[in-house]
Amino acid sequence: MKSYTYNYSFFTYLLVALLCFNLSMAQESDVTNYKMRFAFKTVKKADNTRLLEVKFIGQHKKDRKDLVPIFEAEINFYNILNDEEILLGTSKTSEEGIAQLILPENQKYLFDEDGAINLTARFNGSETIDEQEESLTIKDIQITLDLKEIDSVKTVFAKVFTIDSLGNENPVDEAEMIFFVQGMLSKLKIQEGEISDGEFEFEFPTDIPGDADGDVTIIASIEDSDEFGNAVQQQTIKWGSHVIEPVTKVKNTLWSEAAPLWMYIVLTFLLVGVWANYVYTITNLFKIKKEGKKIQT
Amino acid sequence: MNLKNRKRELVKEFSPMLENWSLGSKIWIGFLIAIILVGIYAFILQFVKGHIVTGMRDNVVWGVYIINFIFFVGISYSGAFISGILHFFKTPWKNSVSRIVELITVLSLLIGPVFILLCIGRLDRLHYLFLYPRIQSPITWDIIAIMTDLVGCFIYLYLTFIPDFAILRDNSDLKIANWRKKLYKTLAINYQDTPSQRERLHKITRTMSAMIIAMAIVAYTVLAWIFSLTLQPGWNSTIFAPYFIIAGLYSGVGFIIICMYLIRKYFKLEKYIRKIHFIAAGIILLVMSLLFGYFTFSEYFPKWFSHKTNDGELLKTLFSSYFWQFIFANYIGVLVPIVILFFKKFRTIKSITFAAIIAVLGLWLNRYLIVIPTLETPYMPIQDSRIEFIHYSATWVEWSLTFTGIAAFCLLFTLLIKFVPIIPMSGIIDYERENSKKKQPSVTE
Repeated sequence: MKSYTYNYSFFTYLLVALLCFNLSMAQESDVTNYKMRFAFKTVKKADNTRLLEVKFIGQHKKDRKDLVPIFEAEINFYNILNDEEILLGTSKTSEEGIAQLILPENQKYLFDEDGAINLTARFNGSETIDEQEESLTIKDIQITLDLKEIDSVKTVFAKVFTIDSLGNENPVDEAEMIFFVQGMLSKLKIQEGEISDGEFEFEFPTDIPGDADGDVTIIASIEDSDEFGNAVQQQTIKWGSHVIEPVTKVKNTLWSEAAPLWMYIVLTFLLVGVWANYVYTITNLFKIKKEGKKIQT
Repeated sequence: MNLKNRKRELVKEFSPMLENWSLGSKIWIGFLIAIILVGIYAFILQFVKGHIVTGMRDNVVWGVYIINFIFFVGISYSGAFISGILHFFKTPWKNSVSRIVELITVLSLLIGPVFILLCIGRLDRLHYLFLYPRIQSPITWDIIAIMTDLVGCFIYLYLTFIPDFAILRDNSDLKIANWRKKLYKTLAINYQDTPSQRERLHKITRTMSAMIIAMAIVAYTVLAWIFSLTLQPGWNSTIFAPYFIIAGLYSGVGFIIICMYLIRKYFKLEKYIRKIHFIAAGIILLVMSLLFGYFTFSEYFPKWFSHKTNDGELLKTLFSSYFWQFIFANYIGVLVPIVILFFKKFRTIKSITFAAIIAVLGLWLNRYLIVIPTLETPYMPIQDSRIEFIHYSATWVEWSLTFTGIAAFCLLFTLLIKFVPIIPMSGIIDYERENSKKKQPSVTE
């Protein structure tokens, strides 16, 4: 009996412990198990501002799928020429481990003799994480888009050039360019090719539907270029092949306002059947009451 | 058999339960009220500050509240099912357990849905569910099913109470407050136990018992569909509805055994709740544990065998982060009751109750494992990297409200068994009446 009581108590305590505490195995969060990934990129945006972005993530040395973003890390962005360092700004990493800084269109840069800008992102280190730094040397690129109808042919003209320290425009040559149309969820690639003498042109496809108003947004983009970094330009024009008519009448489906007919029928039969039985029961209770009253009187 | 005297005897026998409030029961009620008050404070905190005070976040949007909801509603449906079976088939030993089962059924169905309200972030929009219901939504089906079932269970419970209300009304020896006497009179609806009244009451009780069985199956199926009609790995399963029903019956039978044990011990009802009742309930628990084990294996084995990426991820989570919970819920929670109940020599009242406790706790954990790890392994990768968004952990507010639910159940149960005897007196009289009829020689003999 004693041992039985002992077992009983032991198991009860074990169960209570199991129920009250979430025994989820703690993730191994020792920083020495992680290798730091410090990725720096720059994007020249459509409004000619420049985005500087650092993605700071710890990757587990054994389980490479285990990625832990570094949160609240202070990143300094610099423009460097020889020994001269200009602090462009500072930003802290978000919960996703991303730090961003947007430089205005009229930002002044230090250019080297080739007309390139050296951009550097630096994390000064902490008690547990070492200093991290990455630099990019890019030329300040600009894309202009010109959308024209020539003899009823919708044509996209893109002009791509760099600006040197004196403000001169130099046409870009032999850079890969991609064109997209913006969709609801993602971008649809419609053309790609190499820029020749700072220019690229192509006929816009005739089968791209627009939005409800027939508008399409055309995006010109240079991606991950060693010489120019990333650059985008976009423009919206009423070039959609047809306007999508909103569906006015939808049959009774799972996703329409009205449910399929059989659902109403089945539910009605079930509910009427059950509630009719309740009514029948309550009616009988009244009969029992009435009969009892007669006996009493 | 002198009916009047027999009724008086029975009232005298059960009157200590109905008349006296011992110091122990007062302390017990005070303790329950204290837990409820803490729960009310937790609820106010949640209502004012929102779900941020819980462990629920963007991915794990359902926590222990939904588990308690499934658990309580499962107990209720299984109670309704068992009670319906006891009445419909006129089971000889039904008197000992039927009222316990009926009270469990109604009280769990009152407590369970409250937990679903706690899951709702915007309680101020609750009425939208009724104003703008979508017939295609399993949530709407569930609301309809729960409300219909609740009404049905109340009617059914009331039907089984009427003859006892009449007995209590007719007994002047009972030392109770006047308002209680008046209430018994009202609730007894002039029932005089005449043959025609008795026949009518038996007829509608039997019809309602059949209805209750069907309702329990439909309602718990609908609850299972809330999960299985989604495409979530771990939920999207064709056997989820029968699996839920079996799991509900398993936990329900276990819960009834625990209640039988406590009531028998506290009220010293060894004469009415005997070992044979525990053995019968234990054998039902054994059958349910075998069925539950079979369904659990059938649920997880294809997931492991098919090697589908997301199912694999879920199993990996279950066997790593939730290893001990998984072992307890699906191995210990099934095998321990089977071992105890399978061998005759282990079938004592205490060991059967112990097996029931293991089964009930295992089932609660099983529900936890159905809900939480699944929500932690969605199809789309979790964007937010904060630990509380990736791993769910219930806060004190959630635990407090969980224990408040249990305390509210115990409090209502304690109050109700002070209002009507836990063993139906009318059932005992019906049983004795049937026996005396059988003993009398028939006309054709």
